[in-house]
Amino acid sequence: MRLSAFAPSRKQWEPVAFASPSLFLIGVVILFPLAYAFYLSLLNFDLSVGPDAEFVGARNYAEALFRDGRFLGSVWNTAVIIAPSLVVELLLGLGIALLLNRKIRGRPIVTALIAIPAMVSPVMAAMAWRMLFGVKFGAINNLGRQLGLLDVYFDWFANPFISIVAVVLVEVWHNTPFMMLVLLAGLQSIPQELYEAARVDGATPWQGFWTITLPLLKFTMAVGVMIRMIDLTKLFGLIFILTYGGPGGATETVAFNTYLVGFKDFRMSYASALSYLIVGGVLILTLIFMWIQRYREARPA
Amino acid sequence: MSVTIARPAAVTARRVGHPRLRHGFAQGLTYLGLALALVFFLGPFFWILTTSLKGNEDFFAYPPVWIPSDPSLKHYIGLFTRSSGLRYFTNSLVISSVSMLAALVVSLPTAYSIARWRFGGGLLSTVLLVLRMLPAIALIIPIYIMYKAFGLTNSYFGLVMLYTVVYIPFAVWLLVGFLREFPVEIEEAAMIDGCSRLRALVTVVMPIIAPGMAVVALFAFIATWNEFLFAIVLTGIETKTMMVLVTSFTTGGTDQFYGEATASVVLGVLPAFAVAFMLQRYLVKGLALGGTKG
Repeated sequence: MRLSAFAPSRKQWEPVAFASPSLFLIGVVILFPLAYAFYLSLLNFDLSVGPDAEFVGARNYAEALFRDGRFLGSVWNTAVIIAPSLVVELLLGLGIALLLNRKIRGRPIVTALIAIPAMVSPVMAAMAWRMLFGVKFGAINNLGRQLGLLDVYFDWFANPFISIVAVVLVEVWHNTPFMMLVLLAGLQSIPQELYEAARVDGATPWQGFWTITLPLLKFTMAVGVMIRMIDLTKLFGLIFILTYGGPGGATETVAFNTYLVGFKDFRMSYASALSYLIVGGVLILTLIFMWIQRYREARPA
Repeated sequence: MSVTIARPAAVTARRVGHPRLRHGFAQGLTYLGLALALVFFLGPFFWILTTSLKGNEDFFAYPPVWIPSDPSLKHYIGLFTRSSGLRYFTNSLVISSVSMLAALVVSLPTAYSIARWRFGGGLLSTVLLVLRMLPAIALIIPIYIMYKAFGLTNSYFGLVMLYTVVYIPFAVWLLVGFLREFPVEIEEAAMIDGCSRLRALVTVVMPIIAPGMAVVALFAFIATWNEFLFAIVLTGIETKTMMVLVTSFTTGGTDQFYGEATASVVLGVLPAFAVAFMLQRYLVKGLALGGTKG
């Protein structure tokens, strides 16, 4: 039946003609700039110095990896933000998904309502929370004082550690709904007969969760975590509004650092090299993650 | 496709102790947990909305006033007039709508070519998926230099072209899925009747996959609406979007312009609310492929 698409009347040029407009645009607006950025990364082009540049080979990459404490610090900061965010998003998302998977009234509307933060732009999420965290008139400090938990104006962004906690909190608020949706879809594809069979055999719901739900949900969880991890390496808008990398660069992520190098210092070549290092890092992380998955799947339980 | 099988009530209730009581207790905890989740995820929106309607005497009051005593739209009016918010809101609307339409027009034939003729084999599909994962920061530096050279910064055209193209991989990916579900026989019947391939696509295929195209369009709209990095680097005083406007309220603390700041957040998240309800069934797929991040 599908073979009928290859009927003799088919014209050879048609597939190419249909696909070419978008392929041409992708070539011009994405692939060519990427190639150009790689070429740039091998020069010492610096707009704050002037339009002249010369070829320096891999020097930018070497500087970033071995001498640039600020870049290496931003790699560390990104990891410090990513790790707790992923853990909390996974656990909280799983919890809410399990609740929504029970027989409850109004499930579609509750699901859609909880999903809303994930649709909001990072900039808007950060702006809302920046005001919620407001020192004198923010809702969090006001509520804390009203409940007697705080007795002074508390500045959430004065201390590096608490700033990171605040960033993670906003990130968790922003993207747990995504994790929840992915896990809910996974939960709903587990056949109910398995639970019934377990119940007949005398298993408690708790045992059912550990022996049926978790093993069958493992793949979905891995996919969700991987998507969030790749997205989190791009963390930019949220940082820009919430902390602008502060205090003292404690929340400066790789994407934000690259932005500052490119558009505050105007070191275009160096910023290109940094962006290539980010792409490489994401690629390596993804491959490691996929490799671990495959290894664990291949190993007999 | 998820298969859900209704659980017979008799099986659920078969528990030791007081089955009814125990079941009721579990249900009560479930609703309590969901209520807490709703407060956490929607509470910030509630506070932002009420604050945007508050006057100074409510905002600066202690003990805090949670429900505005004299709600007014004066901050929205201030935002639209004093901060040129109307212009930037319109910019966001126009840029998002045009990019959305352009991305659809360009992506549909490509998706058709992949779905019907397996154009490019698996390689093209993989490349498109990898392009979706590409961090925007890797693209903005060369784009900025190129746009500067061609005078495309601070222009609607430059921004719309970038958004359109960046969105093509995602649009093609989703549309291929919708097209594969569409029986090829219908359009072939039309072609036997003398219709050209392109005409069959426009007059026969498009009306039937219109719901799928609407899904792609809404995701494209909100992704463009939400995009920040390209916007902050490439826009100037005339072409700013809502996302860039918000940054102007962070300098020198937000307390002074709390009203306009919250009003701009309310306007900035409106599409998200609309789309979350319209696209419920497709949220997972769209979000997983990066549908809302530019």
